[in-house]
Amino acid sequence: MDTLVALSLQPLENHPSLHEPASEHSGAVVDFKGIVRRDEAGSPIEALEYEAYQPMAETMMQRIATELGAQHPCDHVLILHRIGIVPVGEAAIIIRATAKHRAEAFALVSGFMDRLKQDVPIWKVRGVPINPNLASAPK
Amino acid sequence: MRVLFFAQIRQALGTTAVELTTGDVDVAQFWQILNAMYPLLAQYQARVRLARNGEFVGNDARFTNADEIALIPPVSGG
Repeated sequence: MDTLVALSLQPLENHPSLHEPASEHSGAVVDFKGIVRRDEAGSPIEALEYEAYQPMAETMMQRIATELGAQHPCDHVLILHRIGIVPVGEAAIIIRATAKHRAEAFALVSGFMDRLKQDVPIWKVRGVPINPNLASAPK
Repeated sequence: MRVLFFAQIRQALGTTAVELTTGDVDVAQFWQILNAMYPLLAQYQARVRLARNGEFVGNDARFTNADEIALIPPVSGG
């Protein structure tokens, strides 16, 4: 299984790997995006800030994908996680699993998210509150 | 050794890392040294996992001056 893992300070949607064509041998492409919501812990926010222990996070993501790929064989897995400030509505994580059939791809994506939230050293460190001055600024 | 702090621990201590010269220590001795330097750490210790050179370790681990030790509070990626 071909796996690409990356942490990025830039919007994930612009990552060149997302725009590469799928293999002709793959019949299923499953995409998951984790998006920053407006509400965090009951309060409205403008953005979330993420930090990572970068080398360990990348190693762990690669390892988890490899382990899951042994159980749910896929052709290709792409995992992008954003760090730094992520505005509401933008993706904090994108996972794309490409496989011959959909079941393996769905299982790998779902399993990866479960493991990410247990073992990968990435943290939401704060919600950036809405700036009341901007909210009330004249248009 | 280099000890790394992340997330709420980094915020509480106001620093990202500290250099220590401890010699060969076990996990209990490591915490004893660190808690003496940063008493605030005691409230986090029960929920923190330790990583040595990028790999999680258990309570039977030993550390040397050449190691990079990271304090990993509960993670929240995604």
